[in-house]
Amino acid sequence: MAVVSTWNKIYRTLASVRTGIILLLVTVLFSAVGTVILQRPTTDAEEIQRSYSPTTLMWLDRLGLTDIYHTWYFLTLLGLVSLSIIFVSIDRWPNAWRFYARPYRRTEPHFRASLPLKATIPVADAAKALEATERAFRKHGMPVERIVDSEEVSIYSEKHRFSVFAVYVVHASLLLIFMGGIIDGLVGYRGFMQVLKGESANKITLRGTDGSSKPREIPFSVRCDNVGMETYENGAPKKYWSDLVIVDNGREARKKHIIVNDPMTYRGVKLYQASMGESGKMDKVELVAARGLEDLNGKRIWVGLNETAAIDDNYSVRVLRFIPEYYVQDGEVFQKSENLVDPAFQLALVDKSGAETRMWLIPRKANVTLEETPYRFAASDIKMAKYTGLEVSYQPGEWAVWAGVVLMALGLGIVFYMVHMRLWAVVVQDPANGQVLWIGGACNRNRDKFEQKFKAIVEEIGTEVGPPASGKKSGRELAHV
Amino acid sequence: MSRARAEQQPVAGGNMLLVSVALGMAFLLIWALLNVAKAHTGPIYGESNMLFVSLIFYAGAGALYMGFGVTGIERYVKFASIATAIGFLANTAAAGHRWYIAGRPPFSNMYEMLLSFVWTVALLTLIAEKGYGVKIIGSITMPISVVSVILMQLMPSDVRPLVPALQSTWLHVHVSLAMLSYAACAVSFALAMMFLIQDDMKTETFQVLTAISMAVVYISIVATRFRSGGLAVIGWDFNEKSEIFVAQGQRLFAIVPDLGWIFVLVLLSTVIPIALYFVARFRNDENFYVYANRGMFLTILLQAMALIVFVLRVQNGAYPSAEVQGLFRSALPASPFLLSGMVGSIFAGLLFLLMLWRREGLQKMLPSADNLDQVTYKTIGIAFPLLTLMIATGAYWANQAWGSYWSWDPKETWAAITWLVYAGYLHMRITRGWRGRRAAYFAILGFAVVIFTFFGVTYLLPGLHAYS
Repeated sequence: MAVVSTWNKIYRTLASVRTGIILLLVTVLFSAVGTVILQRPTTDAEEIQRSYSPTTLMWLDRLGLTDIYHTWYFLTLLGLVSLSIIFVSIDRWPNAWRFYARPYRRTEPHFRASLPLKATIPVADAAKALEATERAFRKHGMPVERIVDSEEVSIYSEKHRFSVFAVYVVHASLLLIFMGGIIDGLVGYRGFMQVLKGESANKITLRGTDGSSKPREIPFSVRCDNVGMETYENGAPKKYWSDLVIVDNGREARKKHIIVNDPMTYRGVKLYQASMGESGKMDKVELVAARGLEDLNGKRIWVGLNETAAIDDNYSVRVLRFIPEYYVQDGEVFQKSENLVDPAFQLALVDKSGAETRMWLIPRKANVTLEETPYRFAASDIKMAKYTGLEVSYQPGEWAVWAGVVLMALGLGIVFYMVHMRLWAVVVQDPANGQVLWIGGACNRNRDKFEQKFKAIVEEIGTEVGPPASGKKSGRELAHV
Repeated sequence: MSRARAEQQPVAGGNMLLVSVALGMAFLLIWALLNVAKAHTGPIYGESNMLFVSLIFYAGAGALYMGFGVTGIERYVKFASIATAIGFLANTAAAGHRWYIAGRPPFSNMYEMLLSFVWTVALLTLIAEKGYGVKIIGSITMPISVVSVILMQLMPSDVRPLVPALQSTWLHVHVSLAMLSYAACAVSFALAMMFLIQDDMKTETFQVLTAISMAVVYISIVATRFRSGGLAVIGWDFNEKSEIFVAQGQRLFAIVPDLGWIFVLVLLSTVIPIALYFVARFRNDENFYVYANRGMFLTILLQAMALIVFVLRVQNGAYPSAEVQGLFRSALPASPFLLSGMVGSIFAGLLFLLMLWRREGLQKMLPSADNLDQVTYKTIGIAFPLLTLMIATGAYWANQAWGSYWSWDPKETWAAITWLVYAGYLHMRITRGWRGRRAAYFAILGFAVVIFTFFGVTYLLPGLHAYS
């Protein structure tokens, strides 16, 4: 028994509007906190280090404030909000359904007495009065339904009964959006992928919520056939583009030329053009092959990494290694970084027999190879290999989010612009005034506009029908200043 | 509770203002026409000329609306409406011309945003006046339009090509929805304020709330820009016509000496009326309310003086920077937020003074409190779906451009908070039956959040939304 009543208490609390408002306020508060404190997923780790003292940062991290939107308490809060919406809807649904399914067509005396918006017009001819009523109702856009039974004839008019569900539509749409977000949170992923021109990749780097990065495989490969950028005259970027090919299980499944704002989708995974740049890898270098130090008319040759280019019938040159920034240790050459700051090329002069003479060319130190070889080399230009920067995301819950948005737009339209209006008319015997036509109206929104409509209808009926005693208007004031 | 309509005032006094405003406008128009003919600054229907025409008509309309506010003569409203409508047509021509030249709707930088904003405000003024009968709204919206157009003259107005992320139809849809919804929220705010006037909220309460709003503006300025007595302003590159950046996303600040102290002084002057208000309440001494009002005069005066000093020193100065060696030039276009904050604060002060002097007259000509309450609700009924669509289209665009429909970016988050606050208003009204005062407070709170979302997030918080 105790369990049942506790459950009842929980249910009652969550289903109350007051709880809903409180939860709303707490959500607002926590969300605001997340905008004022730097959040790890969207801020550089260094910037966070710089902005807070170590102790402050430690406490912020411990309390989860540096990634508040993914903490257990924020997610619980959103869960409670969803529950509250669900419970309040369940709580009120039976009444709403009953109201919708069983319209109150025939009026009873106590209803007629207590309805706030009503009017009575003394009439001589009941049938004529009802006809006039029907005309007036129709003229104002309200449908007409005659209800005939053994005791009386009455008229019932109703429009937009569906609007009683408006609130449920809006709340359901909110839940749909949340559901989409939850699905994406649990199953979806987002990451970054750099693909060099001409190469393929099938791994993305996930951005962990604590700023760390983890690799993750995607179910197919992406090959970048070409990548480029267009600029405006003033140098500002105009367009980033890539030609991508999806290779799935060995076959080319799809091709697309993508640009920013126009991604490519394959099996639910979206590939967005985020950026492009030059990698630390060499595409081609332009070497000048000279016969000696005094030869000013050296031959210009473009050659790529691990490629051999012929200089003349006897000799060719091959690029063995390329290091964008080098350093020497223990007589060996190593790569210091990917930045094109201080490059080093290991070249090989290959003669007809295939014999190689290896040499190093370090342009910043001395832009000519120092070994005494038939040809000496200098570097005159270099093209770095471009890469395309792709943002990759898998968001299976997305459809729920957009469906929810559309549903919400519909729901809000119903809430604000679809008013449930009802009119009743019946001829009754009033002890004081004899036979009168009783007219009543009710609406669920925009009362003042409906009251004006009601007043106009009553006036029309009054002038068409009854005796010149212009009809007593009882109930509350009909006119609004 | 409805109040009696204004009695007919003698019409003789009414003509003076009409004639002077008409003469003033005619003079400016002819002068502008001569200038255009002489200097051949583009075709008559060109953007800058049409903008100037709309400025003249909005200014005339504003003067007439304010005249109506002060005297209650209904004739002014008739002419003010006509002036607003003509200004709106000229504004439409200006926006249309810009659209034609740029090849896209005017939404991509501050200048264009202000252009669209002023257009929307004029439209809403006409709707509120004709559709809902709130005639006085022009006295608030027209001065705002005039100030915005003046502010626009400071912005770089050349048509710049768009960076890749902004090249999307969804941009236009999202931004127009943002403009419309913020404008609707602004109108609901004005209506809620008018409700409080009609609902007999005490003048002293208005005074302290205005003083607190002013103090908030100056606290934000001083807290973020005070540097050892000077005021930090963003440096301006006259060649590029843009702000100077030291690094990706980091602007260069030049420090104008001694200006910081002036702003601290102004800040203190806004605090004094607040303090006097509390002294009056604590001691139950009405005299202090009078002193507080005098304090309001003083602070408005000081703010105007500070604005003049700011404009003079910043317009074309060269000042040192803390981060980089050398002198850097400053210019007004680099500080749109500071300028808007200062001008807005003075404007709020002037509106308070209008209320102080003419409360009874105002109360006679405004619609009834009940009516205002209803119209506020209806306006929010327009604003809320627009806000919803704004957020939705923003999410869709973000998804297309950056791969995620919701990344808890500060601007996104604050837009959601704004939405939640207005949802709160609707809940309280519909399910709890909150009307009147409480609903008005909620509507005002909602607009404060809108202001923060629009200005505060861009100005005070970092994020992806750095475009506007």
